[in-house]
Amino acid sequence: MALAFHPLAASRVRIAPLLPAAVAPSSSSVAAARHHRRRFSVVVATAAAASASATTEFDFKAYMVERAAAVNRALDAAIPAGEPPAALHEAMRYALLAGGKRVRPALCLAACGIAGGPEAWAMAPAAAVEMVHTMSLVHDDLPCMDDDDLRRGKPTCHVVFGEPIAVLAGDALLSLAFHHMASVGSYPPDVDPEKHPARVVRAIGELARCIGSEGLVAGQVVDLEMTGTSEVVPLERLEYIHLHKTAALLEASVVIGAIIGGATDEQIERLRKYARSIGLLFQVVDDILDVTKSSEELGKTAGKDLASDKTTYPKLLGLEKSREFAEKLLSDATEQLAGFDKEKAAPLLHLAYYIAHRQN
Amino acid sequence: MALSSIFLPLPLPKLVSSSRSHRLLPARASSAAPAASASASFDLRRYWTSLIADVESELDAAMPMRPPESIHSAMRYAVLPGAGNEGSAKRAPPVLCVAACELLGAPRSAALPAAAALEMLHAASLVHDDLPCFDAAPTRRGRPSTHAAYGTDMAVLAGDALFPLAYTHVIAHTPSPDPVPHAVLLRVLTELARAVGSTGMAAGQFLDLAGATALGEAEVMQVLTKKFGEMAECSAACGAMLGGAGPDEEAALRRYGRTIGVLYELVDDIRSASGNGKMRRNASVLRALGMDRALGIVEELKAQAKTEADRFGDKYGDRVLPLYSFVDYAVERGFELQDAAATP
Repeated sequence: MALAFHPLAASRVRIAPLLPAAVAPSSSSVAAARHHRRRFSVVVATAAAASASATTEFDFKAYMVERAAAVNRALDAAIPAGEPPAALHEAMRYALLAGGKRVRPALCLAACGIAGGPEAWAMAPAAAVEMVHTMSLVHDDLPCMDDDDLRRGKPTCHVVFGEPIAVLAGDALLSLAFHHMASVGSYPPDVDPEKHPARVVRAIGELARCIGSEGLVAGQVVDLEMTGTSEVVPLERLEYIHLHKTAALLEASVVIGAIIGGATDEQIERLRKYARSIGLLFQVVDDILDVTKSSEELGKTAGKDLASDKTTYPKLLGLEKSREFAEKLLSDATEQLAGFDKEKAAPLLHLAYYIAHRQN
Repeated sequence: MALSSIFLPLPLPKLVSSSRSHRLLPARASSAAPAASASASFDLRRYWTSLIADVESELDAAMPMRPPESIHSAMRYAVLPGAGNEGSAKRAPPVLCVAACELLGAPRSAALPAAAALEMLHAASLVHDDLPCFDAAPTRRGRPSTHAAYGTDMAVLAGDALFPLAYTHVIAHTPSPDPVPHAVLLRVLTELARAVGSTGMAAGQFLDLAGATALGEAEVMQVLTKKFGEMAECSAACGAMLGGAGPDEEAALRRYGRTIGVLYELVDDIRSASGNGKMRRNASVLRALGMDRALGIVEELKAQAKTEADRFGDKYGDRVLPLYSFVDYAVERGFELQDAAATP
């Protein structure tokens, strides 16, 4: 049953069943969603909700499948093909093309769309955020860090290629992300020649800031300093870790997509708030799933957080309060989309629901 | 003659003798130096020392201590020299970048942010290159390497954070869109990312790791070109773009930079093998090439770099002098920069 609500898992199930019946039937109405947000039950979507709800015209599953395929093509094409050193490029490809839902690139493309730009303009930035995400996973899995042997059911990069090549492949992916994003040749010819260069410069600055020592890396550092200590991490510190370790890259994905798409400063800041909310939501849901799902359902070891004595939201707040917090974050996120064109906002709205309601 | 007091000569008569035939003498390092030549007005050591001061204050300001302190402290440690640090950094990449920019008549301020970024990228690669799974180097520039001082995990993250900081810094501080247009800034960013990427410096580290330096001359030269030539080419190219170079000038400065980078490193290895410099793992380069061939390559590279620099002499006059003098300095190492820092 649970899988039926995974928008990517069952071919005929659309995201719509996750919306309550009261939502306007023909569109993903942001205003309606806001009114009825109390009725959402995050992470515990029921069969009743599915049968009662109306369909929308937005096919989220198709959207995600198409975007993931396009992003995979862009990633495949971005790795210098046939250029030596072959083994280094092979290690980069192994890590980068291992599958995955491509949520960050989808957010980037959707943010470009909501800002009024053609999604193709944001394909290079979308590929770049996935490269950065992959790089952080490759380095995270290293023996000196989390020491993980498996990732998405496959041996991790350093297990296959050795530690030094995994370090280098990560570094090279990070460089490739910026190279790909800065290169004129990465963008379609129909970009606005007057405005595009300044937008790309600003977007690169955003990406760099979000993943550096005040963004992603800051989260990893504080997380690192917390592990191994027996004391309980206070809520404020837990939020700091998640806002940096997870939300920062989601923030970058959304903000750079919006910049490239030509968003106004006011729109960019609304979307930044949206991204920070869904970033935190992503992690709260992760914590809830860890205690409520089996390893089989998750596709990874369940109860790992408990076993490793890691501080989580359910541990600090209790399961019920954690679910309420998740609902609050979801409504905070969707509220930010209220001022945008409904049709253009549909992908970001559904991405927020997807992150809230995912089952693994 | 006075030369012996100026130059710390290479242990090899061949090189020393060839230096005497140079049209331009490098680096008036002491007051005892003759002042008769055309380059008498140019003092490489003073130029270099003043640039290092500029670059280091730029770096210092770019990396304030802020929370989380551990990572910012590790990043500063990796990039900035410590107090009383005996082997302080020469900052060759930023110096080359600024020299190329100034050659074209553009202000130093246009190139300084990129120069600092080059140093951050360079430091990031060194931090990762020193890791226990790579070179396992316990020291760097005369003090514990970053992982030895801060732990391996923090060293990985410090490198990971220095890469994006380099781009942030260039974007935030390069005077753009005036005088540096956004399109030029994007080319600089592309160039920086390419130089440290999978076909640039990372390729060199990979080939080095794979033992290519134990193979033939072509492989050895490839490692040196990727690991050191790419970075120097990038430095010169960034300076060229920021200074407003035309396509031909940019191409010539690229070739010059690449040649200087390899030359500098090869001479380092020769000095190291002769017990006259710091020890490097890459001294194996000498084993693969043989001393005679290595010296021959030094002469070839020197001639190439001079040829590229000569292109600018007619148009830019004395401003080309830093370019000439770097070539000679790369070979002769006429002074140690920490001496210069001690006696400004």
